[in-house]
Amino acid sequence: MQDLWIVQHSYLIPLLPLIAAAIAGFFGARFLKGQSHWPIWLGVGASAVMSIVLLFQTIGLMGHGAEASAAHGSAAHATASAADRHGAKTVSAVYNAFTWIAAGDPKNAGTNQYFEAAAGFFFDPLTVTMLCVVCGIGFFITVFAAGYMKGETGYWRFFAYLGLFIFSMTCLVMGENLIMLYLGWEGVGLCSYLLIGYYYEKPAAREAAKKAFLVNRIGDFGFGIGIMLSFAAFGTVSYFGADGYTPGVANGLLELAAKPQAGMTDFQVQVLNWLPFLLMLGAFGKSAQFPLYVWLPDAMEGPTPVSALIHAATMVTAGVYMIARCGTLFVGNEAAMMTVAFVGAFTALFAGSIALRQFDLKKVFAYSTVSQLGFMFVGVGVLAPVTGVFHLVTHAFFKALLFLSSGVVMHAMLGHLDMRKMSGLKTVLPKTRWLMLIGCLALAGVIPLAGFWSKDEIVAAAWHASPVLGIVMLLTAFVTAYYTFRLYFRVFEGPRLVPDQPHPDHHGAGDDHGEDSHGSAAHAVASAANPHRHQADHHHHNHEPALMMVPLVVLAIGAVIAGLALWQGHRLGHFLGQSPSFVGAFELAQDTYNVKAADQAHWVNPLVFGQPEYRQAAVVKAEATGHYIFMAVSTIIALAGIGLAYSLHLKDRPKADRLALSMSGVANAMEHKYWVDEFYQAAVIEPLRRIGGIFFTLDKYFVDGLVWLAGFIPQLGGFVLKLTLQRGYVQGYALSMVLGIAIILLVVFL
Amino acid sequence: MTSTLDPIALQHYLAVGGIMFVIGLIGFMTRRNLILMFLCTELMFQGVVINLVAFGAYHDNFAGQAFTIFVLVIAAAEASLALGLIVLLYRHKATLDADAWRELKG
Repeated sequence: MQDLWIVQHSYLIPLLPLIAAAIAGFFGARFLKGQSHWPIWLGVGASAVMSIVLLFQTIGLMGHGAEASAAHGSAAHATASAADRHGAKTVSAVYNAFTWIAAGDPKNAGTNQYFEAAAGFFFDPLTVTMLCVVCGIGFFITVFAAGYMKGETGYWRFFAYLGLFIFSMTCLVMGENLIMLYLGWEGVGLCSYLLIGYYYEKPAAREAAKKAFLVNRIGDFGFGIGIMLSFAAFGTVSYFGADGYTPGVANGLLELAAKPQAGMTDFQVQVLNWLPFLLMLGAFGKSAQFPLYVWLPDAMEGPTPVSALIHAATMVTAGVYMIARCGTLFVGNEAAMMTVAFVGAFTALFAGSIALRQFDLKKVFAYSTVSQLGFMFVGVGVLAPVTGVFHLVTHAFFKALLFLSSGVVMHAMLGHLDMRKMSGLKTVLPKTRWLMLIGCLALAGVIPLAGFWSKDEIVAAAWHASPVLGIVMLLTAFVTAYYTFRLYFRVFEGPRLVPDQPHPDHHGAGDDHGEDSHGSAAHAVASAANPHRHQADHHHHNHEPALMMVPLVVLAIGAVIAGLALWQGHRLGHFLGQSPSFVGAFELAQDTYNVKAADQAHWVNPLVFGQPEYRQAAVVKAEATGHYIFMAVSTIIALAGIGLAYSLHLKDRPKADRLALSMSGVANAMEHKYWVDEFYQAAVIEPLRRIGGIFFTLDKYFVDGLVWLAGFIPQLGGFVLKLTLQRGYVQGYALSMVLGIAIILLVVFL
Repeated sequence: MTSTLDPIALQHYLAVGGIMFVIGLIGFMTRRNLILMFLCTELMFQGVVINLVAFGAYHDNFAGQAFTIFVLVIAAAEASLALGLIVLLYRHKATLDADAWRELKG
């Protein structure tokens, strides 16, 4: 893989969006203005094309049985079996642009007296998968955003930040070491802050941006300490070493951590006990798991394309990616894996339950995202990282689709997002209605759409790990189906109801259909067949311009076929299974868990790790039947959820209100998000503020007082001298002179 | 010129000069009348002059006496200046008391 042109020129993948962002940023305000999307389209598009080409080339490499990773610079050759225990094939490559940080004496390389971080990229199937998701879906979202954000002030700012985001995210997923990962991690956090606070004149947006950044920071704190500890223990932060993955040679952090415990120092063993917990703190912050999820619903203050790209498809998946990448750091620690799985499961159910009573479209999807991320964490936590990544990919498609559709609805409804204010929009937005229906079906997990396959895999893996987890996941799936279709039935079906006044915060963007018609009733009669610009006749709004519809269609196609395509023949599993991260994690898992109990074969399921060669036949058969049972159960549950939503939100809507009234305590709790934010405010923020106030007073009076005192003492001295020596009495002066002479004489002659 | 001064006698001359100087100094510090203060400064001058002349004779040359001429000229000039200043000061405060000028304190 090393010799591929794209790998050798992989610096272009982050660089082109960055240059595009710079162009949009520096020239957008004055020169590009409404055309500021062009540099970003070109930059991100180029990265997307390169990612797809890289994907196909990587698949081609596997298909031809290209053996283990090439050593740096040399062609692919069959080296694997000698050094690697199981002869697992891997495909990987490294590209080092330059040495970014080199501190200490190079003679100490490999120990923790020499720190080196290269600005390098590591390529393997996992990277390629993430790159395709980020750049591909990112590109389509930038296309949509050009239509959505049309007419906004600060249009150029939006696209510049988007370009910067893509740069950071690609650095994150391509990084060759933890420092590059952290660079991207912080960069996406920054872009998230900038983009959530895009409407910075709105106080709620400013607060939401700060909240996102600060809560992330809490996670990043743990993550940073984790990185430092891993360097202190293992002497390197590079995943597989600067020269790339060589089986059998343990150069990188991930390989060193996978060594048998007998070969490690005490300190290293100790660190490995704590390291996963620190790293997962970062993952929880970035991927919005309990208790650090509170920023994601507030992040919906940002423009909808931001919600779709950053808070659904890419940034929030960084935590899942990190755990999948650093598999060997987690897998050996059973407590850590269980923590990841249980926190993920809890978050999934918790967030899902909150979504049941949210009325804002985007908030429902935000909590849904938190919940689905919980699924992904369960996947990686039960030693099934392929399922986690699988769900990551499918979720990116359908969640982005859902968010962008919500954006279309929001535009059509003049900024309103409250589902109590709208209904029966299938006549107003026919195309969007079908696309959103596809998204909802995918999210609910209805066969054969994408969400079904990935969610099912996770549920199956969770059940095998622990029935409790399995039940929680099934319950969450039911809840997911219910709230998804609650939204769909309320918004798109039923009697027609549209708001007639624009929402006070409606920024007027996309109001190419704006000027005259708002204020009168009877709005959009969507001319579905007429995508032309609106004329003076204010009944001919086009709420579904092509620029916005085409990306939705692409995402919808992905939401439909991606699941089956990746699941069938275990394609994704095979693909990811040739990643050194997955191979290493699998081997470590086998060592760690198979030692404990002989029949744990299905615990460490080679399929979900993507190592099909090592499966035992019996397990294969048991698995297959188990799987079909799960598929049936999942489908029944999803349909039950949809059915319940139908009966409560379409057939007999007042029944829903009566039900909510009768369960008012619970419903209230859900609607108020279980008052978690209020709890944080009271238990964490207020005390901190008080402490800050105390320190402020301390600073003002004590520290500043000391400084004042230091200035005051010379003044005092001068005052004393003034009063004693300067009496205006000439003879006194003379006396002083005489005394002075006397002292000098004494000193000189004694 | 042969030394007509007994070396032991030098101390006596120096003592006289020193005593005159000290008397002048103490007088300057303790007196309140401006003219008398000035008188004491003149006395200090004379004490120094006596020392100069004594040393000059001791070393058998006229250096001491020559320098004394300088000092006397300066003393005279200074006397005229000082008395002029005293007259001016008297005009402001109608008194020759040094304490009247305490307002320059601080």
